[in-house]
Amino acid sequence: MTIPAIETNRLTKDYGDGRGCRDVTLTIEDGEAFGFLGPNGAGKSTIVKMLTGLIQPTSGKAQIFGYASGTIEARRRMGYLPELFRYPDWLTGDEVLAFHAKLCELDRVMAKRRIHQLLDEVGIGSRGRDRLKGYSKGMQQRLGLACALLGNPDIVFLDEPASALDPVGRHEVRELLARLRSQGKTIFLNSHLLEDVELLCDKVALLNNGKVLAEGRVSEVLRMQSNWRIRVNGYTPFALEKIKQLLGVNAVIQSGTAAVDESVWLEVELEDDEQISLVNYLLIELGLTIYEVGKTKSRLDEWFLQAVSGLEHRGERR
Amino acid sequence: MTAVWGLTWKELIRKRVTLMTIIMTVLFWIAFWFVSGAIAGTQEPVDFRSTFDLFGNFANAAMVLTLGFFFGAFAVAFLAIFSSVAAVTGEAEHGVLQSVLARPLPRWKWYLGRWLGFVSYGVLYALILFISIIIICWMKTGVMIDGSVLLKSFALFASVVPLLISMTMLGSCWLSPLGNGIGMTMLFGMGWLGSTIGRLMNGRMLQSDGEKTLETITGLIKTAMPADALQQRMLSELFSISELAGLFDINRSLSYFSINGAPSNAFLLYSAIYTAAMLVTGLLVIRRKDF
Repeated sequence: MTIPAIETNRLTKDYGDGRGCRDVTLTIEDGEAFGFLGPNGAGKSTIVKMLTGLIQPTSGKAQIFGYASGTIEARRRMGYLPELFRYPDWLTGDEVLAFHAKLCELDRVMAKRRIHQLLDEVGIGSRGRDRLKGYSKGMQQRLGLACALLGNPDIVFLDEPASALDPVGRHEVRELLARLRSQGKTIFLNSHLLEDVELLCDKVALLNNGKVLAEGRVSEVLRMQSNWRIRVNGYTPFALEKIKQLLGVNAVIQSGTAAVDESVWLEVELEDDEQISLVNYLLIELGLTIYEVGKTKSRLDEWFLQAVSGLEHRGERR
Repeated sequence: MTAVWGLTWKELIRKRVTLMTIIMTVLFWIAFWFVSGAIAGTQEPVDFRSTFDLFGNFANAAMVLTLGFFFGAFAVAFLAIFSSVAAVTGEAEHGVLQSVLARPLPRWKWYLGRWLGFVSYGVLYALILFISIIIICWMKTGVMIDGSVLLKSFALFASVVPLLISMTMLGSCWLSPLGNGIGMTMLFGMGWLGSTIGRLMNGRMLQSDGEKTLETITGLIKTAMPADALQQRMLSELFSISELAGLFDINRSLSYFSINGAPSNAFLLYSAIYTAAMLVTGLLVIRRKDF
């Protein structure tokens, strides 16, 4: 049996003012990319800080590769990019990484090679010799990423890694994370950029007001709703009712879509992808002409919004 | 730990703390050179032909040294306080600390590394200042103090550095840099005031009906902030007051700067324990602190 990369058991942090998180139980296997989602103030960073040993849990426990979080052994295996961080601006990029290399216990030769390689990888390159005073926010973020990856960690905790980056930077970070994933690294991604999470992560969990609302594999979450779009000609309201009756599924004319020529777009919500052939058959039987059939991928943000809709978010409290 | 120590030195150099300190120290040397000359009354080498000249010169040297170390004590204290004022919360507020403490480095080692960095820097500055004051005094008055006395005096002069840094770093575990800086400066000021009142009372320059109450208050202040009391003991050692007792009353020449009731050896021991307790408390606090 392999040891999970991260395992938490009823992890709780109570700040005494309603903030924090309660009974968070998660298991993330070695090599998995995990997306941690939630509205502002949900308690995501609190959990990351407990996992990295920066804050002590009120109760419950967390382990990193079998070691209690916060122990030297656990910290030796991880890299961390904090959400709000700033390196001393009187240092150069090289010096920041050299300092962290010493803290990571890297030998001098290895550190030098790794620093050079990482500065290139995150797109800082020779500007590593400049003082941080002259770095943009995006450059600082890139340096933070390099710093998190410096010790060649087995697991990286990334708290909003692309928050300060422009679209090009975001794309580069996404590629970098994909490379890490292909190298078998475990990634714990705390992000509001759901598109990134959707593209990169194997698993997601949704946190609201300090509690895990939902979790699962991204593929399962996206498959929960199997929506299909069908462009048909010869549409009649009768056909729609017939499909609903025979299959017991929800089918509507897609709102906001104008008919092309004389055709219309139908949106059909299925329980199972297998049902689409039956829908096609019925439509043809009803005398409709099918021009196009395609699956509407349910986006993670739709899942997110659906999961938190109607709930109070403490980040919005006045 | 050496990496943290080294980074602390780099910080003090790069943030222009060193540059500012050097500029202000040079200005002090210039002023002190002329003040010493004025007190000594002559630029010529002194010829010790009589006991009167000897005591007169010693009194002048004592005044020069007292003034020099009066400034020196403040300079060293403020350097110690303001260099370490943002050591913990300041770095945490700026988000510098989070990435460092997530590294495989025990928190106590980080704290101790910072402490050693600040203390070594402060002690080096204290050494430079101490030597320069002694040299200027010797050049102006011709009085050179015995090496072993100088060594003992320097140890006392520099002992304020670890004391103040331990207290300031402990304060920075909870207080913001501004709050900590104000708090420590006021505490240091209170310590100085308590020590001064104590000296004036011992020298019968301040007489009050509530002498007992004043003694208790100044005693408590000195217990909470022993920095100025340590400086008084340093001057006492430097002028060998106990050896000269009955032979020459140097306090008469020093007037308001007189050294009366210099703290005992027991107080020195208390100060050492107090410093260690502040450091150890800081090391314990940082282990459990949330960032």
